[in-house]
Amino acid sequence: MNKNNTQINSFSLSNDKVSVTILLVPALIFCTIFIFIPAIGTIVGSFYSYSLTSMNNWKWVGFGNYVKATQDEYFWVALKNNFIIVFASIVLQVGVGTILAAILDRGIKYGRVIFRTIIFTPMVISSVAVSLIWLIIYDPNVGILNAIVKSIGLSTPSKGWLGDPNISIWMIMITAAWQNTGFMMVLILAGLQGVSKEVYDAAEIDGATGVKAFWYITLPMIRNVLIVAILITTIGAFKVFEFIFVFTQGGPSNATQVLGTYIYLQAFNLLHMGYANALSVILLIIALFLGWLQLKSSRKA
Amino acid sequence: MNFLKFITKKIYLFIFSFFLSFGFITTSYAIDITIWDLSGRNGQDEFYDNLNKEYKKINPDVNIILQTFENEAYKTQIQVALNGNDGPDVFFNWFGEDSARLARAGLALDITPYANVEGGYGNYISEGLSNTTAVNGKIYGVPNTSVSKYFHYDPAFFEANSLAVPKTFDDLLNLCRDIRAIDSSIVPWPLGNSERWKLNHVITMLNQRVVGEENTAADYNLSASEDELFTNPAYVEAWQKVVDLQDAGCFQDAPNATHPDLTRSMFASQISPMIYCGTWCGGIFDSEGFSDFSYFRFPEVVGGAGAGTVGFLVPSGMMVSAKTAHPEIAAHVASFMVSDDMALQAAELMGFMPSNPTKIGEMSNPTHWFNFYVNDIADKTGHVNVLDVLLEANVSNAYLDMGTEILNRTKTPQEAMDFIRQVALEAKAAM
Repeated sequence: MNKNNTQINSFSLSNDKVSVTILLVPALIFCTIFIFIPAIGTIVGSFYSYSLTSMNNWKWVGFGNYVKATQDEYFWVALKNNFIIVFASIVLQVGVGTILAAILDRGIKYGRVIFRTIIFTPMVISSVAVSLIWLIIYDPNVGILNAIVKSIGLSTPSKGWLGDPNISIWMIMITAAWQNTGFMMVLILAGLQGVSKEVYDAAEIDGATGVKAFWYITLPMIRNVLIVAILITTIGAFKVFEFIFVFTQGGPSNATQVLGTYIYLQAFNLLHMGYANALSVILLIIALFLGWLQLKSSRKA
Repeated sequence: MNFLKFITKKIYLFIFSFFLSFGFITTSYAIDITIWDLSGRNGQDEFYDNLNKEYKKINPDVNIILQTFENEAYKTQIQVALNGNDGPDVFFNWFGEDSARLARAGLALDITPYANVEGGYGNYISEGLSNTTAVNGKIYGVPNTSVSKYFHYDPAFFEANSLAVPKTFDDLLNLCRDIRAIDSSIVPWPLGNSERWKLNHVITMLNQRVVGEENTAADYNLSASEDELFTNPAYVEAWQKVVDLQDAGCFQDAPNATHPDLTRSMFASQISPMIYCGTWCGGIFDSEGFSDFSYFRFPEVVGGAGAGTVGFLVPSGMMVSAKTAHPEIAAHVASFMVSDDMALQAAELMGFMPSNPTKIGEMSNPTHWFNFYVNDIADKTGHVNVLDVLLEANVSNAYLDMGTEILNRTKTPQEAMDFIRQVALEAKAAM
């Protein structure tokens, strides 16, 4: 009997292994075709010099493209802009999202669903459509933003909201925040709703209400959700492309260039495909590191 | 058991139907010729419908399939598509460095052998025009039109305010000042440079007028020696003219943040009295409700090395993909597009300045702007291609970037040329 049981167990175990392998095969095939092969191709291509129109004429340059990146002024501008976007996105999207979530969770009694829906709505619109709408808003000739600013007696930027290299990146950030804050709010709201009411009741007895309760009770209790929200925002900020491409294509004078748009410029406009591959590998390494962080913290959460 | 029989029958039925349908398909075998073109041209759909119908009369098995793309997106997508295996058979291009690069890379088909066959493009367009697509003596394209640029102006506004059409560049500066003096809120010449190419067209003309086409040639094709490359001080002077235009109040605030479409609408709605716009603009102004406009050439620069009778001209047309499965038919379709009747249709429906003018006299009710464009292009003593088509990609990008910097006053003309020279030296070294 025992022998039979062992046989059955080992049979079902090997059956399980076969099933698992079979179930994994389609995913592995797709991952290989769409992720691993292109990634390996990108890494290999980063050691060559070639262009999109000279695919049969690859010239070995070793680490030359990576050295070039360290000496490329606009690469550093792009990287710096990515970090600015990370910082601004965390403040605007996660920060404002947290405040909005707290207000919806405990600050207002009526209309929560309506407010939640309104604030979340931009998230379901495509980034390109959002950018086009905001392009009209920012237009220096017919845009409503200029009209509002002028109507309250202030002066508008003479180079335009998107034409001034000093402010254009921030204007794009505002639009990105307008679109994504709702998502952060919903994420954090879910975390807030997991905090037991009894904790607040106990805190109230100890004299912690309002902002104090938010600071000492709410924030520590949703710490893990906030970490996930920050990591999602950070990764999104490093992958940003559509907003910049539609708004400014990296201009004026490369002032809003980010890694995504700079890679595109190098690959398709300047025809430096090998160099674009090297930049992609750098972006890949940053994204992998951030992804690892996200995985680690989400497991904790 | 019955279930198994049922399934087996279904499988047989499926296999039978599959082969039946395969047989059906093979008996009605047709060739699809895919054409990629820019989107947004008036009358384009009708032209291609007619092209398909007319071509079927001589080759019933061929279906012409049109796919269109927005201007900026097209420049990238065509390169990607030509490298892949699902690209077009025939595709639009501007003839200059862009088209030559595709030819050198072996992505465009050498169509020289198809010039003088029956229905070949050699029967319809001049050798001189074909040669604008030549690389190493081989022909790689069929020009079907050319675009040029003119100042379009509102004659009613000029007349009401006793303004004269400028003959020289200084007259143009004075004209801007006069218009601002009439009403400072009127933008004399709206410039939408958010995509960078608008000012590039202006500096193309200023380089020709100030530096002169003979002096620019060696710099543009990077054949000048390293010591001389883009060192002619007249290039700085040309950029200075842009600054002068801005100082004279010609442009609106924030040209780098203004979309070109908006500036066209500013002129078409008579908010602004003039605009420097391409030969494709006449139809757009008309479709937006303004057809009583007139035109003048880019004024000459007194003391400049280039003649005022030289104009801006970018030939464009169709190329054939080197990967097409049907090279002969694809080249024939591209040629058919410039046949006498189709060239006439292109002119009538899309406002093309046709490369084959044989039937131009048969046009029914040509617009006044069409007549002007055709006659003026013919009258010019020479033509210059636009810098963003003509120059090597990196130098072209540097020129585009410097246009933005000059308008923003973040670089002086001298700094702009220093930067362009540096990029040109790197590009020359990489050749």
